[in-house]
Formats: sequence, C-alpha cells, structure tokens
Amino acid sequence: MHNYIFLISILLVTYYMVIVKRLPALVAGFRLQSLLLFLITASVAFHEKEAALYVVAVLILLLKVILIPNFLTGISRKIQVNENLGLFLNPQLSIFVVLILTYLSYLFTFKIMSFADKMQSATFALTLCIVLTGLFIMIFRLKAITQIVGLLVMENGLFLLAVTMCKGMPFLVEISIFLDIFISVIILGIFVYRINALFTHIDVNKLNSLKG
Amino acid sequence: MILFFILAVPMLLALISFFVKGLKTLGRINALGHLSVMAVTFYFAINCKLPLSLFNFFYIDALSVFFIFVITIVTFAASLFSIDYINKDASSGAISEVKARFYYALFNFFSFSMLLVPMVANLGMVWVGIELTTLASTFLVGFYNNKTSIEAAWKYIIICSVGIIFALLGTIIFYYAVSSVSAAKTLNWHEIMLLSKSLDVNIVKVAFLFILVGYGTKAGLAPMHTWLPDAHSQAISPVSAMLSGVLLKTAIYAILRFAVITNNCAGPNYTSNLFILFGIISLVISCGFILVQKRIKRLLAYSSIEHVGVIVTGLGLGGLGLYGALLHVFNHAVTKSFMFFGAACVIKKYKKDNLNVIKGVLTAMPFCGVMLILGMFAISGMPPFSIFFSELFILISGFTQGRYFICGLLIALLSIIFGAIVYHLSRILFGKKPQELKEASETLSTKLSFLFLLIFMCVVGIKVPVFLNKIIISALEILRGNYGL
Repeated sequence: MHNYIFLISILLVTYYMVIVKRLPALVAGFRLQSLLLFLITASVAFHEKEAALYVVAVLILLLKVILIPNFLTGISRKIQVNENLGLFLNPQLSIFVVLILTYLSYLFTFKIMSFADKMQSATFALTLCIVLTGLFIMIFRLKAITQIVGLLVMENGLFLLAVTMCKGMPFLVEISIFLDIFISVIILGIFVYRINALFTHIDVNKLNSLKG
Repeated sequence: MILFFILAVPMLLALISFFVKGLKTLGRINALGHLSVMAVTFYFAINCKLPLSLFNFFYIDALSVFFIFVITIVTFAASLFSIDYINKDASSGAISEVKARFYYALFNFFSFSMLLVPMVANLGMVWVGIELTTLASTFLVGFYNNKTSIEAAWKYIIICSVGIIFALLGTIIFYYAVSSVSAAKTLNWHEIMLLSKSLDVNIVKVAFLFILVGYGTKAGLAPMHTWLPDAHSQAISPVSAMLSGVLLKTAIYAILRFAVITNNCAGPNYTSNLFILFGIISLVISCGFILVQKRIKRLLAYSSIEHVGVIVTGLGLGGLGLYGALLHVFNHAVTKSFMFFGAACVIKKYKKDNLNVIKGVLTAMPFCGVMLILGMFAISGMPPFSIFFSELFILISGFTQGRYFICGLLIALLSIIFGAIVYHLSRILFGKKPQELKEASETLSTKLSFLFLLIFMCVVGIKVPVFLNKIIISALEILRGNYGL
C-alpha cells in the first residue's frame, strides 16, 4: 500500500519539476524525486530481502540525493548563471503537454503492452511518463544545466522501472550503470564550464552554428 | 588469456602516454601496440574454439570476433595516421604537448571501450560499454576547444545519452520479459537465447522498438542522426575515422544481438520491416544532404549515414543480404577511415574545409590526391572496390525475393549519391592549385596507413579472403538464430 503513496508522490514531484521557473527549484525537485526513488528502492529491498538492492538504495542516496544535486548547484553558483530557466513553453502549457504525455503513456501501456497484472501496468505507465517528462524538460528548457537535469529525470524513471518491475538489474550491471551516470554528469558539468567560458552564456538554443 | 591481452594493451598504452618521452616515439609505440592487438585478434580468430565463455562475464562467438576484427583494423590504421598528424599539430602550436598526451590516452580509452562491447556476455554490460564509448570520445570531439567543436561535443553527448537511455529502457523491458518466464535472473545473451521461444511476444516487440531507436541513435540511423555530421566534422581527424568506421558499428552490433532474440521470439518479419524502414529513411535523408554539401568532412559524415542505411537495409532483406550487410560493415569501416585520412591531409594542407574553395589537390599533394581519387570511387560504390560487391549482394538478395520497389529505390538513391560524391570531390581534386601552396609529400607512416587500408579495399573487392569469409559465414549462422555455432 505504501508503495502506491510513493509512486503517486513521485509523479506529483515530476509535475512540479515541469512548472517551476527557477533553477534551484528544479534541482530541489530532482533531489526530492531521487529521495522518493531511494525510499521505494529501500522498501522493495526490505520486502524482497535482497542485499544487492540495499547497496543500490544507498548509492541512490549518496549519488542522486546528495552528490549530483550539490554538484549542479555548485556549477550554477560558480558560473553565476541567471537563475531563470528560460521557458519555451509557459508553466500552464507545459503541464498541459505533460498531462497529455501521461495519458499517452497510459494508453500505450494498456493497449499495446497488455501486462497481466494491473499494478505492473500502472507502474510501467508511470515510469514511461517520467521518462517522457525528462525528455520534455530537455527539449523545452533552454539552459544547458536543465538538459542535464532532464537526462537525470529520464534515468530516475528507468531506475524506478528496474526496481519496481524487475526487483533490480543484475548487481554488476546496476553498479556499472551508476558509475557511468556519475562520470557522464561530471563530463557534462565540465562542458557546461567550457560553454560558459567560450560563449559567455549557457543557452543551448543559441548553440546553432553547425547546420546542413 | 588472449582476450585479456586485447583489452590490456589499450589500457597500458593509455597509461604510458603520460610517461614516454617525445611525441613521435609515443605515437610509434601506440601504433606498434595496436598492431600487436590486431595480430593477436587475427590469431585468435583462426585458432580459438568458439564460442568462448569466461567467468560468466565474457562471451565471444563468431559475431563478436568479426566486430573485434573490424575495430582492431581501423584502430591500428588510425594510430598509424595519428603519429604524424598529432606531431604536426603539436609542433605548429595548435595543441600543447600535454594535450597531445591526453589525445593518446583518450584514444586508447576509446578503443578499449569499443573492444569491450562485443566481448561481454551481459546485455546490460553491452549498454555500459556503449555509454563508455560516448564518454571517452566526447573530449575527442571537443578536442580543439573552440566554439564549433564544443557545440558539436555538447550535441553529441546529449543526443547520444538520450538515445542510449531509450536503449536502456528497452534492455530493462527485455530483462522483465526474461525474469517473468524464468527464475534465473539473467541478462546474458546466450542464456536469454535458450529462453527466447518462451518470451512474451508483445513485450519483446516493444522492447526491440526501444532498442532500435536507442542504439539506432548511436548508429546514426535517420531521423536520429542529427549529432553525427556535427561530431564527425568537428572531431580530431583520426578520431573521425574511428567514429565513422567503428563506433557506429558497435551500436549496430548491439542492435544485432537483440534482433536475434526478437527474431527467435516473434519471427523474422517484424525486425526486418523495421530495418528496411529505417534504412530507406537514412538513405533518403543522407542523399539530400550529400547533394547540397559544402564541407568535406560533413560530406563524408552524411555518406556514413548512407552506408549505415545500406547495412541496415541489407539486414532487413535477409538471405544473401545478411552476408552483404556484414561484409559492408567491414568494407565501409575500411573505406570510410581511408577517406577521412585523405580529407584530414587536405584540410591540414589547405587550412580550410570548404569544397567550393579548395582546388588542385592532385597537383598540390600527389600521393594524397591519388588516394582520394581511389577512395572517391570506392566509397561511392564502383567496381572493383569492395563496397560495390557488398552492395551488389544486398541488391541481389532483394531482387531474388521479388522486392523490386525497395531495390529500385536503393539503386536510384545509390546512383544519385555516387554522382554527388564524385562531383563534389572531383571539384577539389582537379583545377589549379593556389600559387602559395608548396608541393609536399606525406611521411612514411601516413602513407603506410593509407596503403594498409587500400589493400583491404582492393583485396576484398577481388576475392573475400578465406578467413574473413569463414568468420562472416559462422556469424551468419548466429544471426539466423542457430545459436552456439
């Protein structure tokens, strides 16, 4: 039962990330989402009595709740970026689009995937919705850092899927994926610095000199 | 044991790149190291009993050996070409010496990550390997640290990461399908193959769609190809050759692994239709951009999209087309690297890459000019070069199956691209060279890297060497689902 509460609140946090206008709020939303992911992983680990999942949960807490959000905040402070996200779509329209995405992932899950279990269908629809919302944030927000956050939201969706439906991936794979994600966030961070140094802004919509 | 040698040498080379004195010596050691890796792979391909499984982590069958072989050949050629290229860059002050050392370290890390992909048994680790290739090569794309290269690198890492997340989604769905029919929680390819008949068809189909879109982004399939021309044109040139020659192929390798499972589970029609659809879209889009292209490396990048389209169409057509597609993987890797080397020499000499401005390459740089003429005909599919024959196999397979529309479209697009590439490149090859440009010859190592690849282009065109033929044929058995051969 408590899993339902977690799943619904993770969806609400995702919606919250779509309507915020400022970078600190977006990063805080991501931190909250990761925290919920940690709680879900820990509770699944408790139910299944899987030692490996506990390790994964601790890694989520360490990397996604503490290190990565701090790193992102650190970058944005250091380059003194304008905190406004720069929205291509205003919050009202954004939440409308994301609600449509939610409905589409629901349709996709129930019409095409046809799981036997209702609970599994709901979980799958939810994670698909989170992945699509991450993609939405990447496309419709124009700062480079928001693209990193969007990517991380997509990854959170995938971890949620792996934990709730498969009770975690094989241990080695899961650890390597964590390592990969951590390295990729650091590399992306380095590139944000470089973009800021060369262009004196981090608006990705203005990176458009390469064409054709 | 041999396996570890192949993986350890790039790692060692990456380590020593900070300690060896002199960039030239470093480059030579690097090339020698990759020569040894290639030789060992060759020995391995002939002598080892396949499939080979180690520690439940490595799993190598003929399909893996084929891709490892292609990777090592292109990596060796690129390391040979790097010697002079990096040395000139460092001595002209375009990059510092420390940066040149970083180049060698990243180069080796990049080749390590590519070699890892076909060796691992676990499909999740395949994903990790492919993500590592992106991470290792991003700095090589943004190597010159100017506005355009940073922009290209950013697009590269962002678009490929998104693509690869969809691939991970597909992998997780596959894993779900496996774990719901068997108590053994596994992502090992050969173990999934045993279960493949009992998997839920619907779920596997959806998973494969995500896999194709995800890894297809990395493979450069249109319409997910948008990172490719930017990254290929901005990367440091020996790396452009590796990106185009083999990075795209590692993604194709991953798609193939999943396609075999899906075919076993849902019948061959599903994957084959998807392959043909994406292949034809790639051909159409690349054809348009090749026609109007102004920059030489972007021209080659779009030609890569075209050839990936041809490979995927061949995979979709099946039968002899499968043989053609695998042969095309090899031929395109060799020929496209060759062309990127040529383009690199021209750009280095003229200091510009605009096809409208460069004139008289043949008189200014005779060796490179001749190589470019040969490469131009090879890449656009003229006999007796190898690409012609692999394309021919694919077309024959289509015609014998009575798929006249697809084959007609393929022939039409290939001939338009042939015309466009020959037109664009002959504009820069002929004509009068600028007065101030001195005639100069390339160094021995550069010439060797050209000739090394040229041998493969010509020999495979005349007759597929026995050992290559053997690897491809046993790889075909795996693609047809006769697992364990």
